[in-house]
Amino acid sequence: MAQNGSRPVFLNLFRIRLPIGGIVSILHRVTGVLLALSIPFMLYLLQQSLADATAYAALVAAFRSPGAKLLMLLAAALLAQHFFSGLRHLLLDIDIGTGKAAARRLAWLTFAATGLTLVIAGACL
Amino acid sequence: MRTTGSAHAGLGEWLVQRATSVYLAGFLIYLVLRFVLDPLPDHAAWRAWFAQGPVRVAWGLFFLSLLLHAWAGMRSVYMDYLHSAGLRVAVTFLTGFGLLALALWAAAILISSTP
Repeated sequence: MAQNGSRPVFLNLFRIRLPIGGIVSILHRVTGVLLALSIPFMLYLLQQSLADATAYAALVAAFRSPGAKLLMLLAAALLAQHFFSGLRHLLLDIDIGTGKAAARRLAWLTFAATGLTLVIAGACL
Repeated sequence: MRTTGSAHAGLGEWLVQRATSVYLAGFLIYLVLRFVLDPLPDHAAWRAWFAQGPVRVAWGLFFLSLLLHAWAGMRSVYMDYLHSAGLRVAVTFLTGFGLLALALWAAAILISSTP
């Protein structure tokens, strides 16, 4: 590496450009970790919703706040991106979309699908 | 000692991820469709639905799949980024016990929702 002085060496992560498939891949991992970390909170919500009518009503009321709606949209974004890039993974497993052009198309499709999901979710909230 | 990361993590992990992700995806789609087409309007309806045996079995399988899926995912993250064997083993064990605790909690929720 020391011999070729004209080749640039990037260790600055913010200057490394991942191909679109790489971006989808790391997002799949990041969303996965964040979703896993949210499991205890989700279990808590489930427990409260089933406990009794008062707890249920408290949850419904809490979900009406704009802060809660923002959190729900964020959770939906994480879940949607992980879900659609997961589908892409399963398709790649059965040899669909393994060619370069198709892989790139599927990668962009995951973002489109997540965007669409967020629009629909936002409209419902 | 450097490891090979999550490479060669094996057919077992691959199979667990695929099987659990198929169930998780199917269950999620079912939930979304069900609540869009036939929402449960109040607490009583919600509890009544959840009290049904088959519904709780499906949810139980969902939690099992979710925790196994999270386990396999987190494990490959640790194998890729935690290069100190001691740290990796400790974090992996903690994650395993944490997920087991969540499984017990989920089981308690399912069992306590009997009518």
